[in-house]
Amino acid sequence: MKPIARTLACLACALIAPSIRAQAHGQIIVIANPTLRAVTASKSEIREVFTGATSTLKGGSRVTPVLLKSSSVTDEFLAQYLDEADATFRTRWRTLVFSGQSTMPRSVDTEAAVVTYVAHNPGAIGYITRTTPHEGVKVLVQR
Amino acid sequence: MATTLTQSQPLPIPITWAKNLPTLGEALRAVIPLISSLLLALPACAQSLDDLNIQIHGFAVQGFLYTTSNNIFSTNSSDGSPAWTEDVLNISAQPIPKLSVAVQGRYFLLGSMANGINIDYAAADYKVNDRFGVRFGKVKTPSGLYNETQDVSPSYLWALLPQSIYLIGSRNSQLAHYGAVTYGTLDCGSRLGKLEYRAWAGARVIGGDDSYFQDLREASVEVPSGTSGTVSGIALHWLTPLRGLTLGASDSENQSTTARVIYDPNGALGTLTTTNNQPDFFARFERKRVLIAAEYDHAHTGLTFKFPSFPSESYPFDVKPWFVMASYRLTHKLNLGAYRSYTLDRDKPQGNGRFVRDWTISSRYDFNGYLYAKAEEHFITGTLVEFDQDHNPSGLKPSTQLTVLKIGVSF
Repeated sequence: MKPIARTLACLACALIAPSIRAQAHGQIIVIANPTLRAVTASKSEIREVFTGATSTLKGGSRVTPVLLKSSSVTDEFLAQYLDEADATFRTRWRTLVFSGQSTMPRSVDTEAAVVTYVAHNPGAIGYITRTTPHEGVKVLVQR
Repeated sequence: MATTLTQSQPLPIPITWAKNLPTLGEALRAVIPLISSLLLALPACAQSLDDLNIQIHGFAVQGFLYTTSNNIFSTNSSDGSPAWTEDVLNISAQPIPKLSVAVQGRYFLLGSMANGINIDYAAADYKVNDRFGVRFGKVKTPSGLYNETQDVSPSYLWALLPQSIYLIGSRNSQLAHYGAVTYGTLDCGSRLGKLEYRAWAGARVIGGDDSYFQDLREASVEVPSGTSGTVSGIALHWLTPLRGLTLGASDSENQSTTARVIYDPNGALGTLTTTNNQPDFFARFERKRVLIAAEYDHAHTGLTFKFPSFPSESYPFDVKPWFVMASYRLTHKLNLGAYRSYTLDRDKPQGNGRFVRDWTISSRYDFNGYLYAKAEEHFITGTLVEFDQDHNPSGLKPSTQLTVLKIGVSF
């Protein structure tokens, strides 16, 4: 490849990369146990549920969050919904634990385990990438 | 008899039912084994251990103190002192979504103030819904802005919270009580925000060897059996419609009786009654990288000594400590901040022993999600709190510069 072509290719990659990342952001979905009454949830509701500020969605649906252990999917979810890093997020939860205000949500190892847990536990709510098979759960549409 | 007791420490408190207090204290302390037994018994009731969501968390902190003149926190800090260690282990289980049970133990070493293992809390928490929940057992007392979290070093930037209100030497007396806390959040609509409430009641039991009595000891007063008494209060946090802004107030009442007080010089045996009322007002704004907070407290404390054949003697304390703090998260790993705190005891005679003013600059670096380090510099004027006579035998200088280095790990 000629130098000028290489430079153009690099420029193209640099321009395209942010949009690829943006698409990845859009690939995170929030799933819930199918018995949950709610079908939609706002970004602020999701944020409050996953920071321990509330355990109820609008309409009265009680929810219990389940976390995916530190991973790129978790990073994407936190960036998209909570606007914070994984370390900050876990420090926030540990503060609640060490001060006796709450217990840490359950953490599982894989996206498949998130789906399995959410499918079998009423009120459970989690996050996965859209491409992960998610039969047996409902997808909460973001308001 | 003069004491050097300083305020914001909730002081020992009432007298009439003194004879019953040791029994009350013992009964309340039985809550800890009860909660611990419940935690251990849960596995037998569950389908599987996985159902219980049993979790173990902990943190460890090692601090280093250096002062340019006076020794602080009962350490030899003017020579440099590593005598500050905290190791915390937390075990919790959640058998059903509404119920959780947790026990947290701590090894705490700080100079000669503390060197032992305590239970921070041992409680069952039943949360009916967002509007109402109750914790009972040995529970953290949710007064003020940071009382619940003041001993959770991984949770904040500062190596030391403002000592005007969050005295490190008063942890056993301020942080927890035996009894209950009810809590909840009321949604007031999008125009008014949310109102969080916490109300608590119970008893506080403080052992005779606790650093809480350090000032009394220095005044030749021994309290061999410790003290015990009632505690109650309420706190309201208004989460305003302006995202990140919280305004709040709390009010707490303590009353305790020290059944046996010995005045050393003549061996006189008497009692000490303490009453303490502490209204507190605070504001906090946190959004993205910025945190700004302020707190003002007004502690009214009264000590009454009674010795046979002598008229009772009362010592009132009227202290108004406050602080203002701000921090900015420069990167995900580096956080910088500063605060100013001030305490004045109007009942003390003029001089440096009447107040403490502290300008502090602080930094925290998170190496990863588990390991962090803190470095902090304090510019302290006045000697009202945290300087004991034993470690400053030649007297106190009017100002001190304190350097605190801390390294911690949490999981």
